[in-house]
Amino acid sequence: MSAAASTTEKAALTVTGLSVAYGNVVAVHDATFAVAEGDACAITGPNGNGKSSILMGVTGMVRRRGTVEIFGAAAKNGDVRWAARHGLTLVPERRQLYPDLSASDNIILGCYTWTRSIGKARRSDAYGRAVELFPELKPHLKQAAGTLSGGQQQMVAIARGLAANPRILAVDEPCLGLAEAVAKRVYDVLAQIHAAGTTLIVVEEAPRRALSLCNRRVEVRNGMAVSVRGDTALPEYTPGPDGPYPPRSTA
Amino acid sequence: MKFGNLLIAGITTGSIYAMFAVCVAVWYRVSNILNLAVGDFAMVGALGVDNLYRVKGLPLPVAIITTLAVVAVFAYAYDQVVLRIAQDGPRRMEGIVVTFFFTFALSFFIDGVAKMLFGTDVHAAPALWNGASLTLGSLNFERAGILVLACAVIIGGAFWLYIRFTLAGKALEASGENSVGARIVGIDTRQYRRLIFVATAVIAAVFGIIESPITGYTYLSGATISLTGFIAAAYGGFRKPGRALLAGLFIGVLEALLGGYVSAEYGDTVMYALLAALILAWPQGLGFESAVSG
Repeated sequence: MSAAASTTEKAALTVTGLSVAYGNVVAVHDATFAVAEGDACAITGPNGNGKSSILMGVTGMVRRRGTVEIFGAAAKNGDVRWAARHGLTLVPERRQLYPDLSASDNIILGCYTWTRSIGKARRSDAYGRAVELFPELKPHLKQAAGTLSGGQQQMVAIARGLAANPRILAVDEPCLGLAEAVAKRVYDVLAQIHAAGTTLIVVEEAPRRALSLCNRRVEVRNGMAVSVRGDTALPEYTPGPDGPYPPRSTA
Repeated sequence: MKFGNLLIAGITTGSIYAMFAVCVAVWYRVSNILNLAVGDFAMVGALGVDNLYRVKGLPLPVAIITTLAVVAVFAYAYDQVVLRIAQDGPRRMEGIVVTFFFTFALSFFIDGVAKMLFGTDVHAAPALWNGASLTLGSLNFERAGILVLACAVIIGGAFWLYIRFTLAGKALEASGENSVGARIVGIDTRQYRRLIFVATAVIAAVFGIIESPITGYTYLSGATISLTGFIAAAYGGFRKPGRALLAGLFIGVLEALLGGYVSAEYGDTVMYALLAALILAWPQGLGFESAVSG
């Protein structure tokens, strides 16, 4: 996909002047970026620089300033449900599962964004696809989510996100605390999801891993400023041993 | 057959304790607030129906419906005004103040109003199912007791079905387990807090109405009921309605047996000593630790 072609594509997510603050602490200041439909966009930067807060603000988990448009419709501030119904679903940092509920109950609750009927949810394509994507979860579906391994929990969290039938899936630090082999499996699945036509946004501390998948990058720095290096100025990414960026840039 | 009759009496009071314990546990699960006013709603149910029926002369069904409606509206208003400011506003309060204080204050408030409206005498709602107690061999079944048991089974069963087989029920559980995770899939945890608070208030009032012919209520009866429900819920680790239910039944039966065999006068004292000993001996098994650590 060339940079010139992508500007003419439909924007899936447009963020303008986004600011997020927790009390007096400003986590995100005036962030502006766009993600085109079909893109896989990485949000990278060191820890504590506001990457997750961008996602929290965009999805409405926290109150924000600035405007967010999802497929051209202006998103309501602080309304997660609205965002989910318009196609943007968050797979949060630390997974945020319901530990005493079974894995399948965790996944099916993703359907709560669009239905109240458990029958409809069970029969839905979204739920079926979400479960089928992780054959390794099959024997554990009846198990309480809190007793699963970290990798399995991450898969349940992604499956729950998919059950919401998203057009944009925003994944926050999917490999936090996972073994390398498991992290690779998670990224393989994300690549599969992307290949199936879902727009991806991945927050990653380690840009190398993220850029093995993503064709765009938004770089977050200093908790305040966001430089959009991913948009049009960036050359097409070709996978290499280290990628076009050093694995860890210093400040 | 003394044992059999004591057992029946114990299961009857136990099922009431169990219902109140479940009410406390379910709401705590959703909102992280302990409802110390749940017994007061039962008292309002009993004395309200008595007042409307006996003093105001309304027909019994009208009296019951009016009382339940007043309880529901009051619970809703309380949630909208007090809990909304305490929990949903920009200056969200957390910790022990929210957990205890607001419902504790509510309990005193309801008691005060009830004292003005209903006086200080012992009253009871009229029995819904009149007649002498039913006998089977030498076993006695009080009709009110049968009603209480039936209601407990129906309401408890309906709630179990709701949790087990509907998406809304699972969402309710999810919002109790992880409020952040619940919000991600669009669950409005505040809506569930409100729904369960109003529902438990009405359920408590229903039990007050059908149980009061057995024991009789004064404006102060609520606190005792709340306390027992609270203890039974504590035995279930506050968050486990199923365990709270068993604990409630157990406490009811234990109370009846101690009253019958040990001493009617010191039965309660012995019971609380036993309950305390149980917690000391087996804190984990009773879910007490999960209650403390959340």
